[in-house]
Amino acid sequence: MATRSESGFGEVSRLRGIVFKYLTFGASLVGILALGVLLAYVFWDALGLESAGTAWYLTYTVTLLAPLLGFLAYARDKPEVTAGAIELVGFTLAGGTLSFAAIIVLIVIAGPGVWVTYFLTVVAPVIGLFLYGQYEREATWVGLAMLGTLVVGPIVGTLGLGAISTVAALLGAPGVYFLSLVVPGAGLAAFLAADRFDASRRVALGVAVGLLVLAIVGVPVVDTVPIVARSVWFAVLVMLGLPVGFAVTNTARQPARRAAFALPAIAIGGFLVGEFVVGAIGATQPSPWLDWQFLTSPTSSLPADAGLYPAVIGSVFLIILVSIFTFVFGVGTAVYLEEYAPSSGLLGTVTRLINVNISNLAGVPSVVYGLLGLGIFVNINIQFGPVVYAGIGAGTVLTAAMTLSLLILPIVVISAQEAVRSVPDSLRQASYGMGATRWQTIRNVVLPRSLPGILTGTILALGRAIGETAPLIMIGAVATKYNPPSGLFDTLTAMPLQIYTWAFLPSEEFRYGVVAAGVVTLLIVLLSMNSVAILVRNKYQQETY
Amino acid sequence: MTTEDMATETEADDDTDSLVTSDPGKGGLSENDDRGTVMAADTIVESRDLDVFYGETQALQNIDLAIPENQVTAMIGPSGCGKSTFLRCINRMNDLIDICRVDGELTFNGKNVYDEDVDPVALRRRIGMVFQHPNPFPKSIYDNVAYGLRTQDKTENMDAVIEESLKKAALWDEVKDQLDKSALNLSGGQQQRLCIARAIAVDPEVILMDEPASALDPIATSKIEDLIEELAEEYTVVIVTHNMQQAARISDKTAVFLTGGELVEFDDTDKIFENPESQRVEDYITGKFG
Ligand SMILES: Nc1ncnc2c1ncn2[C@@H]1O[C@H](COP(=O)(O)OP(=O)(O)OP(=O)(O)O)[C@@H](O)[C@H]1O
Ligand SMILES: [Mg+2]
Repeated sequence: MATRSESGFGEVSRLRGIVFKYLTFGASLVGILALGVLLAYVFWDALGLESAGTAWYLTYTVTLLAPLLGFLAYARDKPEVTAGAIELVGFTLAGGTLSFAAIIVLIVIAGPGVWVTYFLTVVAPVIGLFLYGQYEREATWVGLAMLGTLVVGPIVGTLGLGAISTVAALLGAPGVYFLSLVVPGAGLAAFLAADRFDASRRVALGVAVGLLVLAIVGVPVVDTVPIVARSVWFAVLVMLGLPVGFAVTNTARQPARRAAFALPAIAIGGFLVGEFVVGAIGATQPSPWLDWQFLTSPTSSLPADAGLYPAVIGSVFLIILVSIFTFVFGVGTAVYLEEYAPSSGLLGTVTRLINVNISNLAGVPSVVYGLLGLGIFVNINIQFGPVVYAGIGAGTVLTAAMTLSLLILPIVVISAQEAVRSVPDSLRQASYGMGATRWQTIRNVVLPRSLPGILTGTILALGRAIGETAPLIMIGAVATKYNPPSGLFDTLTAMPLQIYTWAFLPSEEFRYGVVAAGVVTLLIVLLSMNSVAILVRNKYQQETY
Repeated sequence: MTTEDMATETEADDDTDSLVTSDPGKGGLSENDDRGTVMAADTIVESRDLDVFYGETQALQNIDLAIPENQVTAMIGPSGCGKSTFLRCINRMNDLIDICRVDGELTFNGKNVYDEDVDPVALRRRIGMVFQHPNPFPKSIYDNVAYGLRTQDKTENMDAVIEESLKKAALWDEVKDQLDKSALNLSGGQQQRLCIARAIAVDPEVILMDEPASALDPIATSKIEDLIEELAEEYTVVIVTHNMQQAARISDKTAVFLTGGELVEFDDTDKIFENPESQRVEDYITGKFG
């Protein structure tokens, strides 16, 4: 005798769900729109698009924009093509970042003498041991040997710096970079060809020899371009050439992905054709602030001559140091707190107290960290017996790097803790149940599983560090510097600092054009840095399934 | 199968004494195993007066139990009566639970595993464990079976050992062409057999299984049951199960735990299922009491 509604099952109200859905949609729309407006605004100014004529716009719409949109529409429902295109673009970006970093670190900052010394004492042995470890999976001493090399190598290198530099000077800078970059690069290429692409020995050897020959044959061509040195050519050939070659080969051997080559073809071809047409019909071109001159010269009192070169180098130097510091200390702290620290009893209370404090530190404003940096790295003078610690200098690379590291360390620790905590306990139990020690469990189960999460957190935190201005001002980093830093104890300027200074100059060209160019450069550096980290993360995500 | 009555609740003390003195020479866990020379029905694991507490609450009370070598011992009892807890005492997995405290004695080959000088890691290398839910590592099938071999430095002839373990676990034919594929793509039953292969690859003396078939369909279950019977030729198997028929089918000895963490009866499986001494056990087995 239950009363039944006429229309069968009746209906369940979804009203609240629908309202919620559109609210979230609206929120994300506002966010994306704000970001889009900001980007359009700075790009508009940085590239000087205002001054371009209608003909210029029309030309590029036809030659570049329309084909690109066409490709996107075509690739929309073809996951393989999309994956191929992403791989091609991603590896090119990553390769660009790597060569950029190599030029800055190996050639500008270190120079051939210092580089070859540490290459021989640290880099080459560590890479050699790593490869041996990959090849001979069961050799458990390899990890220890690598650690030992990392400790002993720098000491040996520092002692032998003079002697090795003298020998390196005889070789000349290009010789050094040829032997230390191109030759190992050729070996790596041959290995990748044989290992990843199942090439025969002959082909693999051919790849290696081909790279060496290309490097040498390229030299006369490079010599005709005045601003590019031979060392730079070698570095770019290896750092950009290998990733691009890898992505191209990988795409070419999968028929379903081959259509992805249309993307670079459209981009390059469209640009060249557009350039030709614009020249032929004499259209007014834009006058970008962001050009080669901007990237290669220091700041100046004339907007047209101003550039960001020392600041770019300074920022990249900083980011490399900060990422090493935060990764080592952040991951170390997180693993200790999650895996080793006692969680019950009196000591457990201490652990909880530390955890709460770390969360609070993550919210402390950056000026406060600037003050801290000023206090412990600059304005300090304490004596421990005969040793006097008087800080590490106002505005030096090391001071800035350590201050920024302190700033983002809590964020890195928290996200790494979260990642470590997300490893299911059943996996730890499985490992202990197999008779693994705690170290083996952490090394083989916990860390591989949590690495992608750890990297995500680190990437976000580094993005924050690279954009910070306030702490740099606090520790006395100078805003106007005409040379890039060449050592840890050199003073530096960084991109946000330089941009900040420009923004208050009276000239309107500075405040709009030059600042916008600086912001775009900062964004590009950030983006390419992230692309490397994301590639590394994806590789680990694949490896751990 | 031996017919002597071992360690029923009332007679436990007398019997266990004689069982210990029968192999007094066996000592520390660091010694090489001399399993081959021991007769089939010797006791390998024995608990005396074992109490386990989680914080203030007691999970096991006065457990006296002698597990015979190279036989299958089943543990049955209602949920929450402490079967898993007992199993975890044997290889000291309880050490990983902060609030867990163990009193009394639990010997393995005559040596109290809770002695100060016993290294729990070394102990777990000789007592393998298969968990209630399949928990393969997010690695390849090969790497899963190789895991214990690598952590225990037993990497000689690894390929052959891995093949043999997978064959013993009745999994080889299904995975031999995809050893480098992720173990997570296997079905639940295959994953559980992989976990068994992983446990036997390192050649332990005792294998502890906590409801290994609870999440499996009848076919996978019967494969695992066959496997357990085969394993008992070489290994000592201790298995927790909620399935009476399963316990009756595969085990030589059965221990019945009841609520409150007490061991009510421990005897030959046939006797427990046909003619148990305790009325409570009979009620539990026939389903009158759970
Ligand atoms: N980690 C723990 N912390 C606190 N109490 C626990 C913990 N593990 C088990 N217990 C308690 O100990 C008692 C026995 O648990 P145990 O897991 O050994 O039962 P079980 O017989 O295996 O049950 P089931 O058949 O459901 O698996 C239960 O009352 C449970 O609440
Ligand atoms: Mg249980």
